[in-house]
Amino acid sequence: MNRDDRAFNRELETLLERGRAIRPLPDVVRARALARARATIAKGAEAVPAPTAANPARSVGRRIALAAAFTLLIGGAGAVAAIRGGMLERSRPAPAPVAPAARVAPPRPQIPAAVTPEPESTPKPIEKRHAARPTAQESYAAELVLLHRAHVAYASRDFSSALVLVAEHARRFPNGRLAEEREALRVRSLAGSGRTADARRAVAAFATRFPRSVLLPRLQETAGTPD
Amino acid sequence: MGYLRLVHSAEPAPAPETSCLEAYNRDLDYLFETLQRLGAGAREVEDLAQEVFVVLHRHWPALDTTRPLRPYLFGVAFRVVCAHRRRRKREVPWLGLDAEDSGSSPEGQLQSKESVALLMAALERVPLPRRAVLVMHELDGVPIADVAERFSISRFGAYARLRKAHRELASAVRRLLKEGAPR
Repeated sequence: MNRDDRAFNRELETLLERGRAIRPLPDVVRARALARARATIAKGAEAVPAPTAANPARSVGRRIALAAAFTLLIGGAGAVAAIRGGMLERSRPAPAPVAPAARVAPPRPQIPAAVTPEPESTPKPIEKRHAARPTAQESYAAELVLLHRAHVAYASRDFSSALVLVAEHARRFPNGRLAEEREALRVRSLAGSGRTADARRAVAAFATRFPRSVLLPRLQETAGTPD
Repeated sequence: MGYLRLVHSAEPAPAPETSCLEAYNRDLDYLFETLQRLGAGAREVEDLAQEVFVVLHRHWPALDTTRPLRPYLFGVAFRVVCAHRRRRKREVPWLGLDAEDSGSSPEGQLQSKESVALLMAALERVPLPRRAVLVMHELDGVPIADVAERFSISRFGAYARLRKAHRELASAVRRLLKEGAPR
């Protein structure tokens, strides 16, 4: 037994020894791998100016957003100070707009008139755009995943699971980009599970919400004649 | 002025893309081997190698090229294989080796090929975190301290993984031999 173990260990060691050798790649495979790598470099070279050009723009955007946030903050603080001090005089016409640097220590009477319109006019959309982009993408991806799961459940005739997932989608993304598809799936799942009355109600709701949907005729047909 | 002259008279440095590609080409055999040792199937190994190259190319300007590249490549390959597994979410049985060997004699070549196939099949049965330690230390010959550093674990942890991986590999080889796998 012990001798067997020793023999086996030797065999294992031999195996590892042979495994240490690195086998040369066939030329075809190497050529293919290098061609793909070169293509990546070429693509990268095309893309290189874009990030370098985009980076300053992004940083400028970030700066603008920061400046907007800063002015908002100062405006807010100034407004609070004005309210507390009982100096909120909306009726008095505002004097000439004050430069941002001068607004760091805002004179109380000028605050409501000069500060409030500015953040809403220019920098806010930029800030909004920068903040909203990733979340929109993320939420779309999450929507897609959820609805895909619902579709898979529907395709495997697991209508109750599909309806649960549809309900979850409706809860998380009531006005999501895939709301139309979700509602269509709800109708089909209800019809598939034999809940004809619910399916008809869902179709009616769908028709109200998406009256020009290309899915509508088919859904009406489905709700009328469930699977 | 002196500064300008110095800049203009400097030796033209090789383009980073070229040096990156050269380094990749130099260690391509190793990379393919490592990916297969970490469980990449013969059909997916090229795609995974390409993923490794993309990472390498992205980090090339910041990479310390005076240090050996293989441990870095191993780390990237490990992460790429892990990510690939997560994507795949299921195990794919070992499909055998497609790459041709260039052994000295046909007999030796066959024996070596079968041994490697057996080893790969056995490695496939060792869980990936332990397999990575085993491959890095036993097959790549990386000292255990470096292995521990690479995986951000203690030296004791690395030894523990290695011991367990050895046991698992031995039992996998035994089982495969019993099942009649090629030796």
